[in-house]
Amino acid sequence: MNLMQEKETVAKSLLDKFAKAGANDVIVHINEDQSAQIKFANSKIATTQSWTTAKAEVFVAVNKRLVTTTIKDFSEQAISDSVSRIMKFANSIPPTDDYGGIAEGPFNYKELENTFDSKIIDLNEKAVDMTEAALNAAEKNGSKRSAGVLEWSSNNSYLLTTNNIEAEDKATKLYFSLRAFVDKYASGHRVCNSRILSGFNPEEIAAGAAETARQAVNPVQSKEGVYDVLFEPLPFSNILTQIGESFSIFNVESHLSCLAGKIGQQVADKSVTITDDGTLPNGYGSGKFDAEGVPTQKNVLIEDGVLKTFLHNTSSAKRHNVKTTANAGLISPSAFNVVFNNGKLNKEEIISTMKKGLIVTNVWYTRFQNYADGDFSTIPRDGMFMVENGKITGAVKELRISDNLLNILKNVAAIGSKPDQVFGWEVEMPVTTPPVLVKDVHFTKSVA
Amino acid sequence: MDLDLAEFALNHALKLGAKYADVRLETTRTNEFILKNGIPQMAGFDRVQGMGIKINSGGCFGFVSTNELEKEKIKEVIEKAMKVTSAACRITEPAVMSEEPVETADYEVKQKVNLEDLSPKEKLNVLFDIEKSIASTKIDVPGRFFSMADFYTEKYFINSEGTKILSKIPRVDLWYFLTINDNGKTAQRYWQYGDAGGFDKITNRNFPELLKNEILKADENLKKGIKPPKDKIDIVVGPQVTGIMVHESVGHPYEADRILGREAAQAGETFIKQDMLNTRIGSNAVNIFDDPTIEESFGHYLYDDDGVKARKRHLMKNGIINEFLHNRNTAATMNTKSNGASRATGFDREAIVRMANTYVAPGEHSEEELIEGVKHGIFMKNFMEWNIDDKRLNAKYTGAESYIIENGKIGEPVFAPIIEISTPVLWGAVDATAKNMEYHSGTCGKAEPMQAIPVWFGGPSMRIRNITLGNKE
Repeated sequence: MNLMQEKETVAKSLLDKFAKAGANDVIVHINEDQSAQIKFANSKIATTQSWTTAKAEVFVAVNKRLVTTTIKDFSEQAISDSVSRIMKFANSIPPTDDYGGIAEGPFNYKELENTFDSKIIDLNEKAVDMTEAALNAAEKNGSKRSAGVLEWSSNNSYLLTTNNIEAEDKATKLYFSLRAFVDKYASGHRVCNSRILSGFNPEEIAAGAAETARQAVNPVQSKEGVYDVLFEPLPFSNILTQIGESFSIFNVESHLSCLAGKIGQQVADKSVTITDDGTLPNGYGSGKFDAEGVPTQKNVLIEDGVLKTFLHNTSSAKRHNVKTTANAGLISPSAFNVVFNNGKLNKEEIISTMKKGLIVTNVWYTRFQNYADGDFSTIPRDGMFMVENGKITGAVKELRISDNLLNILKNVAAIGSKPDQVFGWEVEMPVTTPPVLVKDVHFTKSVA
Repeated sequence: MDLDLAEFALNHALKLGAKYADVRLETTRTNEFILKNGIPQMAGFDRVQGMGIKINSGGCFGFVSTNELEKEKIKEVIEKAMKVTSAACRITEPAVMSEEPVETADYEVKQKVNLEDLSPKEKLNVLFDIEKSIASTKIDVPGRFFSMADFYTEKYFINSEGTKILSKIPRVDLWYFLTINDNGKTAQRYWQYGDAGGFDKITNRNFPELLKNEILKADENLKKGIKPPKDKIDIVVGPQVTGIMVHESVGHPYEADRILGREAAQAGETFIKQDMLNTRIGSNAVNIFDDPTIEESFGHYLYDDDGVKARKRHLMKNGIINEFLHNRNTAATMNTKSNGASRATGFDREAIVRMANTYVAPGEHSEEELIEGVKHGIFMKNFMEWNIDDKRLNAKYTGAESYIIENGKIGEPVFAPIIEISTPVLWGAVDATAKNMEYHSGTCGKAEPMQAIPVWFGGPSMRIRNITLGNKE
C-alpha cells in the first residue's frame, strides 16, 4: 500500500483501536522519506546512495505508562495485533510519575517560507552534474584532491493525536560538504545547507574550501597558551550545537547542561542573543509542528547575554510550571534552528582588531570532562591561522582548544555580520551563525 | 523473513545489467528502557525490517535501501539507483573488489536467557536495583541516567557470486551517566557495557555492585583528589584506558579506507600511509589485535557484510605495523585480500571498513607488578573526556578514578590527570603489559550518514614510561 495515500485511514484506525483498548494519549506520526547522496573522495565519486522509508511512529500513554514503537504493517489485522502488543507492553512497565500529558488541540498552522522545493525531489542525475561542477571549482581554486558529499531529500509527514490535533507538512533538503586538500597538512572545509535549490551553490563552497586549503600550506607548530580566536561559522556551529543541547530541559534535569539553575542570570556577553526558531525561512530544521503537533515558534533563549528559558514539551512545561516552547521531542525537547545574532563587522574588520590571535576554520571531536560545568575540549582541523597586529601571518597546526562553554559565551568580543547555516558532521542541530571573535581561549597540545 | 525477496532483488539488479550485486535483508527486534533520576522515561520496542542492495553498475558502486518490502517497490528503487549510479560513472574510480571464496553459512549466537523470555518489568528491575544500590551509599548523586537496550538481528546476505550467509545475533547494552556532588563541586562518570548474547549477559555483570563501587570511588576522588604531578612520571593505565587508546590511535588509523582517503571529509584520515606496513610505531612490548570472532563479544560476527569469512587480525606485532583493516574494495586497491572488516550498522547503510573487537594483547605481569615498578607516577584506572585529531596523531585522555604512585605503591587519589600525547610517543613508551585482560564496549562512530556500530575495545593494564601530564594549573 502507499502509506501516505492511506494516512488518514491508518492513523484513525490506530487511534480508535487504542482508545477502545484503554489508552489515554496517543500520537500517530506517519513519515515517508526519500533521500540520496553522492559521496566523493580523491576528487572522484566513491558511491551513490539512496534510501526510502515509510513508517508510522506511535506514542501511547496508558495510566502514565509511556511506550513508543514503529508500525510497518497496516492491514486491519496487523493494526489490531500491534495495538494489543503495545497495550500489553505498556501494562507491564511502571508509570512515569511526572508525565504531564500531551498538547490539546486543535491548532492552526502557518505555511513556512522556503521549506519545500519540488525540484529537489528528483534531482538524481542532475546531482552528478552539480558534484562534478563543484569538484572542478575546487580544483580550479587549487585543491589537489577533494572529498565530501552532496545529499538531497524529501519528506512527507502526517500527525494525528487523541487530543484533537491533525497536522501535515512536507519538506525538502539539500546538503553539500567539501573538504579540499592541497598537501598533507593543508586542507579547508566548507558546508552549505538549504531547503530550496535557489541560492544553493556548491561551487562557491568548493572554491572557498580550496582557498582555505591554499592559505593553510606550510603550517608551523604553535605554542599552547591563551589566544583570542576568530571562529568561522563552521567551528562555532560545533560549539553552538553543544550549547543548543544545554537548553533542553531533559539535559538540564539529567545534569548534562551547564545552564542549569541559571535562568535570569548573565551567562554570556551582553552582545549575545541566541534564539531557536522552528519557523525560520529556509531553516534546515524548520517544520510546521513539533512531535506533539504544537505549531513551532521562535523562542529567545539568551537575550543580551541573559538566559531566558529552557526548551520544553507539554509534559516538562507542566512539571516546571511554564508553557511549552513547542520543542517536543517526546522524551527530550530539542531545538529546531539555533540562531546566533548578527553583529556589524565583516570578517576582515574583526581580524583588523586582533592584536594576536588565531582564526579557526573547523573543529572536531568535541568532548566533555564535565557537562554540568561545561568543561570541554575540541580539536581544530583544516586551516588554522595566526593573526598578529591585525594581519594573517601564517598557518599553524596541532593545537587543541581546552576550555569551558560558559567562558566561551562570556568572552564573546565581536560578532560578524554575515551568517552561514550549518548542519552536518558533528553539527547535528542546525545552527545559523556569523563568524565570532572570542577572547582568551585556552589551547593545549601534545606533550612529548 | 521472506528470504526469497533477497533473491528477487539480486536477480532484478543483475537483470538490469549490474556487474555485481549483493543484498542484505535484515530484521532487528529491539527493546529499550530509560531511567532518569529514578523515574522511568519512555520505554520502546520495535521491529525494523528492510533491505540494502549494493550494485556495481557500469563500473561504479551504488547502494540503495528500502523498508518497503514489496516487489514492485524493490524494483522501483533498484531501477532509480542504477540510473544515478550509471550517470556518476564518468567521474568515479573503477569499482574493484578483491577475489574471495564463495561462502555458505548459517550461524547464531546462543542465548542462555532468551531476550523474549523476560517481561519489560523484569528488565526494568535491573535499573531499579542499580538505583537502590546507589542510594545505599548515602552519597549525593543528583544525576542518574541509565539506558538499557536489547537487540536481536537476523540478517541474510547474498551476492551475485553465490555467497549466502544467514546470521542471528542478539545483543544487550547498558549505558549509564552519573553526576556526583560534593558541596557544589561535581564529578561525572559514564560507561557502557555491551555483549552479544541473551539477557544473562546483563544479569551476570552484577551492575548494582559495579555501580556502587563506581560511585564510592568517584566520590573519594572528588573529595580527596589532589592536583596531578607536573614533572616527568611513569603512568600505569587500567584496561578501560588501554581500550580507548587502542581503539582511537591504532584501530581507526589502520582502517584502509581512511588510508585511501575515502572518509577524508567526515571521519578524517590517518597519519599511516600504505607504505608504512612493517614500520615500527610502538615498543617491542606492544601487540595489538582486532578479532570479530570472539564469541559473545559486542562486535561479534563470523562473516562480514561483504560475505567474507572473518578472522583475527594482528594489527601491531611487537610494535611494528603488521596489517590494516580491509574490505573487498580497499583490499583490491592495495592489491591484497580482505580480512573481513566490512560492516554496516543496518540494512540502510553501506558496508565500510570497521573495527570489531580491538585489544592490546596481555603480557606476563600482574597489574600490581607494573605498579611496583613505578617510583613516581600515577595510576589512571578510567577516564571521562577524550578526543583525537583527524589524523589520529594527537590524543587527549583525562582521568576519572586515578591515584598517585610513590615507590611502587598506590597513594592518594589524583583529580583529572591529563594525558595529551602523540600516537608514536604513546606506543613507543609502553614498556610492559599486564595479564588482567578486560574488554569494554563502545558504539563507534564513522561515516556520513553516521554509522554507530557496536565494538569491544580493551586489553590489560599498561605501563607508560617517562611522560609529562598535560595539566597546567
